[in-house]
Amino acid sequence: MNHIKNASDAASRVNMLTRVIGRLKPVILGTAGTMFLASCATNAPQDTWQPKGPNAQKIDSLQKPVFAVAGIIGLIVAAAVTYSIIKFRDRGQPIPKQSHGNPALEITLTIIPALILAVVGVFTFRTVFDLNKTSDTQMIINVTGQQWWWEYDYPANNEYGITQPIITSGQLVIPVGTKVMLRETSRDVIHSYWIPALNGKRDAVPGRITINRIEADEPGIYAGQCTEFCGLSHANMRMEAVALSKEDFAKWVANQLKPYAAPAEGTLAKEGETVFLNQCTRCHQVNGLTRADGTPVIAAPDENVWSGAVPNLSHLMSRNTFAGAMFDLLTPECRNDVWKSDSASFGAKYLAGVSEPCLNQTDLRGWLRNAPAKKPMYANPAQLAATGGKYRGMPNLGLSESDIEKLVAYLLTLK
Amino acid sequence: MANIENFATPSSAMGALKRPVVTKGWREWVFTVDHKKLGIMYMATAMFFFVVGGLEAVLIRLQLALPNGKILNADLYNQMFTMHATTMVFLFVMPMAAGFANYFIPLQIGARDVAFPRINAFGFWALLFGGLFINLSWFLGGAADGGWFMYAPNSGPIFSPSHGVDFWALGLQIAGIASLTGAINLIVTILNMRAPGMKLMRMPIFTWMILVVQFLLAFAVPVITVALFLLSFQRNFGATFFDVAAGADPLLWQHLFWIFGHPEVYILILPSFGIISEVLPVFSRKPLFGYPFVVFSGAAIGFVGWGVWAHHMFASGLGPVSVAVFSISTMAIAVPTGVKIVNWTLTLWGGKLWFTTAMKFAIGLIVLFTIGGLSGVTHSVAPSDTQQTDTYYIVAHFHYVLFGGAVLGLFSGFYYWWPKMFGKMLNEKLGTWNFWFMVIGMNLTFGPMHILGLQGQPRRMYQWTENRAGEGFFNLAFWNLIASIGSLVLVVGVFLFLVNIFITARSGKVAPLDPWGARSLEWMTSNPPKEHNFDSIPTVHHLDEFFHRKYAEDANGQMQQIATAEEVLKQLEDNADAHIHMPSPSYWPIVIAFGLPVTCLGVIYSIPLAIFGGLIILMGAFGWALEPSTAPDTDFDPPSSSNTSKDVVHVG
Amino acid sequence: MFTPGSKYLIAITGLSAVSFALYMLLVHPSAIGAVALIGLLAATSLLTGITLFTRDGHASEGQTSAAALDTPTPSMWPLVGAAGFALLLVGTITTPIVFIFGIVAMLAALVEWTVQAWSERSSADVAYNAQIRQRILNPIEYPILAAVGIAVIIFSFSRVMLAINKDAGAIIFIAAAAAISLVGVLISVRPQLKKSIVGTIAVVAALGLVGAGIAGMGVGMREELVVAAQEDHYAHKECGAEKSEHFDKGVSETISATSGADATIELIDGKLTAHAQGIEGLQDSITVRRSNPINIIFRNKDAGEFRLSAYLGKTKVADGVSEDLITCTQLLPQGAEQWLTFTIAKPSVSGEPYTLSIPGLAGQSVEVVVP
Repeated sequence: MNHIKNASDAASRVNMLTRVIGRLKPVILGTAGTMFLASCATNAPQDTWQPKGPNAQKIDSLQKPVFAVAGIIGLIVAAAVTYSIIKFRDRGQPIPKQSHGNPALEITLTIIPALILAVVGVFTFRTVFDLNKTSDTQMIINVTGQQWWWEYDYPANNEYGITQPIITSGQLVIPVGTKVMLRETSRDVIHSYWIPALNGKRDAVPGRITINRIEADEPGIYAGQCTEFCGLSHANMRMEAVALSKEDFAKWVANQLKPYAAPAEGTLAKEGETVFLNQCTRCHQVNGLTRADGTPVIAAPDENVWSGAVPNLSHLMSRNTFAGAMFDLLTPECRNDVWKSDSASFGAKYLAGVSEPCLNQTDLRGWLRNAPAKKPMYANPAQLAATGGKYRGMPNLGLSESDIEKLVAYLLTLK
Repeated sequence: MANIENFATPSSAMGALKRPVVTKGWREWVFTVDHKKLGIMYMATAMFFFVVGGLEAVLIRLQLALPNGKILNADLYNQMFTMHATTMVFLFVMPMAAGFANYFIPLQIGARDVAFPRINAFGFWALLFGGLFINLSWFLGGAADGGWFMYAPNSGPIFSPSHGVDFWALGLQIAGIASLTGAINLIVTILNMRAPGMKLMRMPIFTWMILVVQFLLAFAVPVITVALFLLSFQRNFGATFFDVAAGADPLLWQHLFWIFGHPEVYILILPSFGIISEVLPVFSRKPLFGYPFVVFSGAAIGFVGWGVWAHHMFASGLGPVSVAVFSISTMAIAVPTGVKIVNWTLTLWGGKLWFTTAMKFAIGLIVLFTIGGLSGVTHSVAPSDTQQTDTYYIVAHFHYVLFGGAVLGLFSGFYYWWPKMFGKMLNEKLGTWNFWFMVIGMNLTFGPMHILGLQGQPRRMYQWTENRAGEGFFNLAFWNLIASIGSLVLVVGVFLFLVNIFITARSGKVAPLDPWGARSLEWMTSNPPKEHNFDSIPTVHHLDEFFHRKYAEDANGQMQQIATAEEVLKQLEDNADAHIHMPSPSYWPIVIAFGLPVTCLGVIYSIPLAIFGGLIILMGAFGWALEPSTAPDTDFDPPSSSNTSKDVVHVG
Repeated sequence: MFTPGSKYLIAITGLSAVSFALYMLLVHPSAIGAVALIGLLAATSLLTGITLFTRDGHASEGQTSAAALDTPTPSMWPLVGAAGFALLLVGTITTPIVFIFGIVAMLAALVEWTVQAWSERSSADVAYNAQIRQRILNPIEYPILAAVGIAVIIFSFSRVMLAINKDAGAIIFIAAAAAISLVGVLISVRPQLKKSIVGTIAVVAALGLVGAGIAGMGVGMREELVVAAQEDHYAHKECGAEKSEHFDKGVSETISATSGADATIELIDGKLTAHAQGIEGLQDSITVRRSNPINIIFRNKDAGEFRLSAYLGKTKVADGVSEDLITCTQLLPQGAEQWLTFTIAKPSVSGEPYTLSIPGLAGQSVEVVVP
């Protein structure tokens, strides 16, 4: 290192500069950190750094220190490289001694990161097992993924007033402060269930039941998205978890169990029911719906759709979304009103469901007019030699405008 | 025994089985078995596919620049990202590394060619035809659309009805054959054909890393071969390996794929580690810091790399024990990787740094790869991985690793070795522009993806919606736009490199013999090297043999030049070997390689065509076995050009 | 380019091709006629190919016949050919396999003899002639010999494995693998080992294997396999309480998934209980999803052999006639378990539940609820 002492004035100026930079480092670090945080979106619905439930919180408190450590190590490397670049650049110094290294230094610099990682490893280990705890589950919901929507079925559970199984889709409704277990599987390809505010993701694998535990601290809507690539409309396979206070949840359950109320004779909605019976019940189930002769209508999606299931439309208007949560049933203003409400008033607003002025007519009518045009699906079995004539997604039904008018009126009655 | 000369010689008796002798025009390239020509062809092919994959990436970014992008439809988008990854992994980085290895391994170890020159040629043609075969699907009903990971059952005939996945699976089989033959060839070459005195621990680090990579390939490619066969049988012949209704388990594919797929990551990155481990010492004027540590950490990565595959499956419900164990093993592999970064930094430390373009790319790699490595550590923590996996955070991570790592390393290699390969210097000024555009472009493109991912934007979505983009000026819409703009900057950077090649080819400065003051054997020969590489095989006494022939310590312990590169080379030339045996060109490698895609097309469309392809392969194999080991001098026109200056004999 | 000999053969090939085409197109083709003509075509094209390939009959000026210069080398092919003919005759009166061996031997002799004879005329140099012969025949001989060798090894080894019981099979397999590795290591560390020693080891091993294979063939398959073959148990023909002997008790081990099943059904002390994945405690009914392949594990912890039978509703076979849809596991002894996959497409209707039950064990069933 002798020759470096002989370096020119320029070099000492560089040295001074590096010393100044060294002293400013905390300031720079702080500013960089703040800048990073400031450069993020506010209120991103799927932000992984905004936990809203205990499981997500556990992950968050594990990962934030890891990020910090990684950031510091990164800065050290960057600083060392920068320093070398400035300090050791060719200024006519002689060719350095051909040293082949320093084993002691080398071993030290191997052991230090190994130790850091060992510490991280211990905490990781603990959190992994902690997150997999299932013994204190309070409520079970079966979650089934298919191209490209989620089905939620609530097995009978007297504690929560679920006297008979409830099947719904689009929005997962849970009571707050309740440890909910999602038993996930899939009817076709692998999907992944992910509500970042509540927990990390868990794949829904066909033929397997995977376990995912969520719990929400506050009432509200938590957004999520299918995160295992599942084909054509993967991008449109969204989900929303709705957390309601325990009382509101009981009201929601009661509403879901409410028997079917046929529209009054002579109304547009009644005509809509006829259209529905003719066009929709081959696949879509509405619990309690009967034919003119009084026999119950049991839809047979397994005969028409490859995955063998389509969303159950009972109480459709108690949900805020349709078509795999791709479209809102609410107009943007009404949607904002629900999403942005505080946790105290949220329950009432959500339970109000979709009323006619709030209905997102554009998307719903567009969907009824030509579903595959709104959402990419393999809706034409003619292109699918392998499915034996079954659809993969809702086909274009070729409904007339008056039929659509009637259907919308009918669907609005499915509160 | 009289009058033997009256009877046919082997060559004329064999008729059509003569070995090709033309050394001009296209036949010089098509039938060549010269490792240097093959290396250049590998690189040209890889560069072509880099441009193809890059254009696919730009289309992806243009689609995602704004919400509800309309440039691509969902189907085309899915094909685009599948083929982008497939192209970049299998048709750009791997062949580019293979090109470097082909060209420089024999030179670095002081050999005249690889151990199996015809297999080498076959490997290249198989790769080229395999790559073209995969991309043929674009014109025959659509490319593969299941992602490069091609998870079952989404890859099945019902969920992916076009022939894209068939082309993908069979094309990768062909490319896999190329990789396997290449791996065996290079392993045999490195272990058996080193110059006298070159012990394993005197091998250049690039050779070492390539050796590790070839072992990884030799063990990883068979796994993906099995997986691809299962997939092809499921799609083409009604098998049910991943069919749940038949009692199968789709996770089988994931395990098979990632047991291949994770070592594959090291297959992609280690060659670049090797390259910059050559470049950094040269431009720091001092040896690689801790050479044995770098060697053994490379080997350690090669071993531990087999025990981490399930970290790609943390979200798939493996159960806490597997998750915890694979989480820890993943952290463990960060240690040898960290050792490399430390050693590179300490190589710079106390050096006499010369910032050529090659050096800039190498230093860029240290910093950017470190970012990628550290983000990798953040998701080795399994619980946080369940938040991050399949989001843009992962996209950011592996692009920092693969672009910031592998690609920058390869570009460093271009600038460093270009004068060696073509005898002309790439323009350094343009190179600096190229470097800055690429580095800024890549940070603009992939940097924001960290934020996008952590704020919840999943991967592989053909559209994103403003509903989920958050609020504020720096919302996800802003960062998506920045990433898209960054990709265009990146395009400019790569374009500048192509311009640089063009300008250099037209009017580049002729390279001096030793433009960089290099350290290893490949520089101890002319630029570009002669067909037989070395006039006489040097005896190796040191790691960095070439450097030690040029420099020695004086009495004060200072390094002093004792010989110029020209003098070192002159010495070798003066002691030239009397007889040099070089392999003869052959018709058959390209014939057999051509039979592979024909067979595969037949598997997809009609079995008779497959049989025809099989016959081509069979015929090629017989030709290969039957052709004479050498072309007699009389076959050359003018006869025996090789006898002019030196006695170079072509043998099989 | 074309030698006189090849011109003649090309013409004959062309003629046979034309006659084949004419026969197929104009004459009402019979199988024998087609085979005869296509055989002729194949034979002539082979001969033509060899002639073109070797440039046989190419008489350039100044060339004397090689045969005149050198005496032929010894050959084993006349012997093989004669032996083949003898086998062929023996085969006609004994078993067809001997007949086939005879034909193969004669064909081999024919090809080898032809090429050898041709090669010996190509020059006066014996070594060079041998080289020519090898160059043409080795690429055919080696693949065929390798294929035959592999077939013999696989056939012999598989006879042994079929004859002995499963546990002994595993031990023999490991032992054989270890022995092969050991010999491999020995040879690699002592590369200067005499060729004859290595050869002897290989011959002894091969003879031993073939001998064991023949012995295994004599003994026949092990009892379980014979029974299984007779029963055709893979067909799941009946799901009742009937007793049947099945060899593969641990069939669930052969299925890749061993975790993540929807539910585990256990028979303990005459009681059937369900344990659904992720749910604490034991249940007497399980809720599964409609139209979804359901995997359950059946575990028999009771003394005696039982199977689990799943009633999956009725299917219409004709108008007004319907049949029960039933699937079941095999009969499992105590401690065994098996994986069962089924799909139910229609939701449960009250009064007609889907059930899992044990045939012959009344009163025990687990209800399958499909919402």
